[in-house]
Amino acid sequence: MNPSADRASLFKTWLEEHRGIVVRVTRSFAPAPADAADLQQEILLQLWISLSSYAGQAKPSTWIYRVCLNTAMTWRRGTARREKRHEPEADIAHLATEAGSPADQAGERELLEKLYAAINALPDFDRALVPLSLDGLAYREIAEITGLTENHVGVALTRARQRLAQLMKGVTDELE
Amino acid sequence: MNWNDYEAVWKRQELPVGAGADLPRLRETFETKRRRLAATLLVRDLLETSAGLFASGVFAYVWWHIGKEGWPIALAIILMLGLSGFFLRERLRAHRHRLGPDAPLLARLEAEIAGLRHQRHLLLNLWSWYLAPCAGAIVIFVATLVRLLITQAPPELFTKLWEHPIVVVGVILPVVAVQFLVFWGVWALNRRAVRKGVEPRLAELEKLHRDLLAPN
Repeated sequence: MNPSADRASLFKTWLEEHRGIVVRVTRSFAPAPADAADLQQEILLQLWISLSSYAGQAKPSTWIYRVCLNTAMTWRRGTARREKRHEPEADIAHLATEAGSPADQAGERELLEKLYAAINALPDFDRALVPLSLDGLAYREIAEITGLTENHVGVALTRARQRLAQLMKGVTDELE
Repeated sequence: MNWNDYEAVWKRQELPVGAGADLPRLRETFETKRRRLAATLLVRDLLETSAGLFASGVFAYVWWHIGKEGWPIALAIILMLGLSGFFLRERLRAHRHRLGPDAPLLARLEAEIAGLRHQRHLLLNLWSWYLAPCAGAIVIFVATLVRLLITQAPPELFTKLWEHPIVVVGVILPVVAVQFLVFWGVWALNRRAVRKGVEPRLAELEKLHRDLLAPN
């Protein structure tokens, strides 16, 4: 098999296995559907481009998280104007309907929408840290992705969780 | 509700349909973007380096016509070539320090901070590496031509000219003023770029970096 075909097949396999990372990072950074499509395309493009430089030092999931988060953070910085035309409630509702969840899960879906809206309202690095923590990654893995020490991950996550809790306070009171 | 509830909801979420990648389209987009980026970079690098090379070429051509008398123009050529070399060195430096999207987030943040600090340093010291060499080269070039003109022109021409100093001043002053305004404009625009663009961004990233590495 030639290297190009190898790369294409590896790309497909990884994308099937780790599609959730791409989707969750995209939604965390770009709740509006048009922006989400744009960011997802950019992330996939960066994954495809960077794949040739993957040397196997990191686990595929760690590597994918890095590319996704770096791309999303760069995209977000470069598109500050998107913030102005962004309407969180409507956009998140639209994304959620695509998931096609059953009606009895409406409360959970609403909570998820609010969670994404809250993550989106966090400062840049917190916005990257919170999805990693919600995905259940250990401090060691988060440290590998971010380049922080495990101690700093702990401190930064505590702060990020507090900020998230503050943002979610009104929402959870409403849902409970 | 607490963090565990959020985590549970997060993990149970369904993935939207069609979140996969259309590989042929992706390759096509990549090729288009790569070509566009390569063309943009080529034009930018050519403009930056070729301006100095072009000026050097013009100076060299004039020197060749003047002959040995025009030897100071060599200094102007050295200054302009030095400027082109500086731009080239900066491009290579930027290329060497660039981190890919698969680098750890903190390393990318630190690289960006270092890049912005370097950019600020360059823009604040524009006079030393850009304006001074350009102005120096222009002064040397013009002075050489004027000196040659004075030695080769009939002496009575200058006698007559000095009788009308207002004409001499009227010719020289606008040229110097325009030159000064151009250089001042370039300097002011770059100071503004530092104040409005580089420094706020740098302060934001430095604060983020400090917060991330704060002990508690």
